[in-house]
Amino acid sequence: MTDQIDKALEREYEAGFVSDVESDTFEPGLDENVIRRISTMKNEPEWMLEARLKAFKVWQEMEEPDWAHVDYEKIDFQAISYFSAPKSMKDKPKSLDEVDPELIRTYEKLGIPLIEQQMLAGVAVDAVFDSVSVVTTFREKLSEAGVIFCPISEAIQNHPELVKKYLGSVVPTKDNYYAALNCAVFTDGSFVYIPKGTRCPMELSTYFRINEQNTGQFERTLIIADEGSHVSYLEGCTAPQRDENQLHAAVVELVALDDAEIKYSTVQNWYPGDENGKGGIYNFVTKRGICHTNAKISWTQVETGSAVTWKYPSCVLKGDNSVGEFYSVALTRGAQQADTGTKMIHLGKNTKSTIISKGISAGRSNNSYRGLVRMNPGADGARNFTQCDSLLIGDQCGAHTFPYVESRNPSAIVEHEATTSKVSDDQMFLCQQRGLDPEKAVSMIVNGFCKEVFKELPMEFAVEAGKLLEISLEGSVG
Amino acid sequence: MSEWLNQAITQAQGVSDWLSPKRDLALSALADIRWPTRKTEAWKYTSLRPVEKFSKEAPAAFTSTSTLTQIQGFECLDLVFENGQFVTDLAALTLPEGLSIQLASQADASKQAEVLAKFSSIKPERHVFGLLNDALVQDVLVIEVADNVSVAPAIRLTSILGLAAQAHTRVLVVLGEHAKLTVSEHYQGNEESLNTGFVEYEIGADARLEHYRFALQTGKAVSLGGSHFQLAERADLNSTLVGFGSDLSRVDVDMVHAGENAFAKMNAFYLLDGKELFDLHATVEHAVPHGTTEENIRIIAADQAKAVFNGRIHIHRDAQKTLAELNNRNLLMSNKAEINTKPELEIYADDVRCAHGATVAEIDKKALYYMQSRGISRAKAQVMLNFGFINELIDQMPNQELAEWLRPQMREKFSQMEVK
Repeated sequence: MTDQIDKALEREYEAGFVSDVESDTFEPGLDENVIRRISTMKNEPEWMLEARLKAFKVWQEMEEPDWAHVDYEKIDFQAISYFSAPKSMKDKPKSLDEVDPELIRTYEKLGIPLIEQQMLAGVAVDAVFDSVSVVTTFREKLSEAGVIFCPISEAIQNHPELVKKYLGSVVPTKDNYYAALNCAVFTDGSFVYIPKGTRCPMELSTYFRINEQNTGQFERTLIIADEGSHVSYLEGCTAPQRDENQLHAAVVELVALDDAEIKYSTVQNWYPGDENGKGGIYNFVTKRGICHTNAKISWTQVETGSAVTWKYPSCVLKGDNSVGEFYSVALTRGAQQADTGTKMIHLGKNTKSTIISKGISAGRSNNSYRGLVRMNPGADGARNFTQCDSLLIGDQCGAHTFPYVESRNPSAIVEHEATTSKVSDDQMFLCQQRGLDPEKAVSMIVNGFCKEVFKELPMEFAVEAGKLLEISLEGSVG
Repeated sequence: MSEWLNQAITQAQGVSDWLSPKRDLALSALADIRWPTRKTEAWKYTSLRPVEKFSKEAPAAFTSTSTLTQIQGFECLDLVFENGQFVTDLAALTLPEGLSIQLASQADASKQAEVLAKFSSIKPERHVFGLLNDALVQDVLVIEVADNVSVAPAIRLTSILGLAAQAHTRVLVVLGEHAKLTVSEHYQGNEESLNTGFVEYEIGADARLEHYRFALQTGKAVSLGGSHFQLAERADLNSTLVGFGSDLSRVDVDMVHAGENAFAKMNAFYLLDGKELFDLHATVEHAVPHGTTEENIRIIAADQAKAVFNGRIHIHRDAQKTLAELNNRNLLMSNKAEINTKPELEIYADDVRCAHGATVAEIDKKALYYMQSRGISRAKAQVMLNFGFINELIDQMPNQELAEWLRPQMREKFSQMEVK
């Protein structure tokens, strides 16, 4: 056993992330020195440091946006520590007994195996190594196909030409406040490159990337699908994740070159905070993909966690005949606030986009859909269809829709539809009459409401997502 | 901050009269306000350059190529503003019983107090030009209908702007319980000018208001204004808004359901050509349960025109059993024109039925083909289809005379669009 542990630790060292900095956590605060230190820690080349410093300057001149329909205490950026090395074994809970029993109960309901429970809760056990072996098999299979799947810090070292070319090409530094901050201080994230004409042999999941737990609060992901390739990427997991960082400002960039296809699925279930949303995670994410000719990007997300969510996975449909899709289920309860949606920017001819958004609000939460569909003058024959439906459970919550439609091409067709309704008494009556208890009935109705989105998720994910909604809705009926 | 705004504020600061309490409130609000830019959500698509650039010397006398329009068969009482000055001789009007029209400056102190209490109580504070109007108006025209009175002739409010004019008009309309009235607002004058025209309507319980706003200024006219409605129990509002664009035309509409079981309907359509811009922001507030709202908005934008629409429906916490629907259809005729639309729903009550839909497209190619295959020229077929698109809403206008007057104007506008 000890041998195995040692081996596994070595592998982590190989990855270049957990190195001699293990015990390091920066003092709170942010200035140029902090950024230099992050860069030095990661042993980054000069160009990366310059990019970070430039981003920091840009960020300092920007104002925190306030247009989203969310309300939270202002973030003190000087009170955050921008680098914290992974916890060493001795700081972690020794066993599941030391973990919040509420968390364990949820795991049990989700049917998560004991070993994974321990991993998710950050328990210091060697059981994790079961998945390490899985990872190894994974890596071998991937490298056979020529797929690069590694931490982005590693990619900066080993594939600088790709990183230089594409990092920041979809989400420029100046894009928005949190993106600029991320550019300056990101610590890690995933890098994926699928070579020309390759179909990635398996679904890539952050779950299997060994140092996933260490990516920290400023995650940076870059996925490049070269011409004619195909990849499906899964982010997050249904289990509520323990996390000490309150602010999460990730940036995800997708590049789909000619004829490529990227499918990006997210299940997000971070800590939503207590009854009043205190202590919950702020999730301010910038996700965007660019589609070249005949390419396709499909975003699917199931959002149930975080105290405040601010997230708009977008597609820039640059190439002719490219396709963008967005399928979303956002569920808020308690005091959660979500302002989420998408942007579809149609630049090329005959580009198509589909937006299906399902918002479910319960408790005292607020759930907003905010979307933009823009048809540029060159988008001849472009087509968009948008449908956002909101479901209200209880009379203390809010459901909002803010769709922006901007059309500059007469041959483009944009259709937007939105409805708001509640779980109707008739539906409830019908279910209860057939012997379902009210809670089951609601979860069944909600599942039906979300079906269009769930069917876009990879199978196992879809099953888990359904369960997740069920658990999240517990106690919101009656 | 804009030079023009500073001048306006300085101008208003020196004035002292019965309106002073409200003027001071507006001035202090203006002092804190940020001059709207493209980053201001409510002005995201509409540039205020034409206002900022406006620096015409006020003319000595009123001159305009525009005159009071004759509308065949339309029975109405005419109330006219020229360059913002109220010029109708009220003493010469014979008013039906139960209808009173007066200038607040000439009313007695108790009436003035009453007007002050209602002034800007219906128009929300967030409209920058509404605040400016508060600060700059010299008088308020007050139209009141007593309880249980149905006024047969319509009231036509006409504001004519001459060259270089800068005008600010303000009207307050109060309908008593079970009262009935038709008001038609007309804004005219295509020369370079700037006006803010705001009308507030208080609609009493069981009262019925038929309302029209014809924002037909084109060319260099800068027109900023609003119609704001407050509905009491079971009140009924049927409003039609017609817009032609100009360098800058902006209308803000607010409909507030303050009493239960009220019904509000608004149809709006605008036709834009050349480099015209028209911007409509319509907000519906359902503050109480059992309200119903229906909105239909249709826009045609040709050439290099720019259309902006923002339709917000806000259902407050306890406004259960609300029914609200908004339907927005747009035709884009050229790839230099643009349509920016944003139907918003903000809902805090669960037992409601709300929906909105928006589409942007060009004329149905199949319909066009069908007509051409029957020997109708492409240009003519386009005019017919465009006209049909708008005519569906004209047909819904309760007043047939106004509809008849409007149709040929629309037709003309469409045929002009095609020539280009």
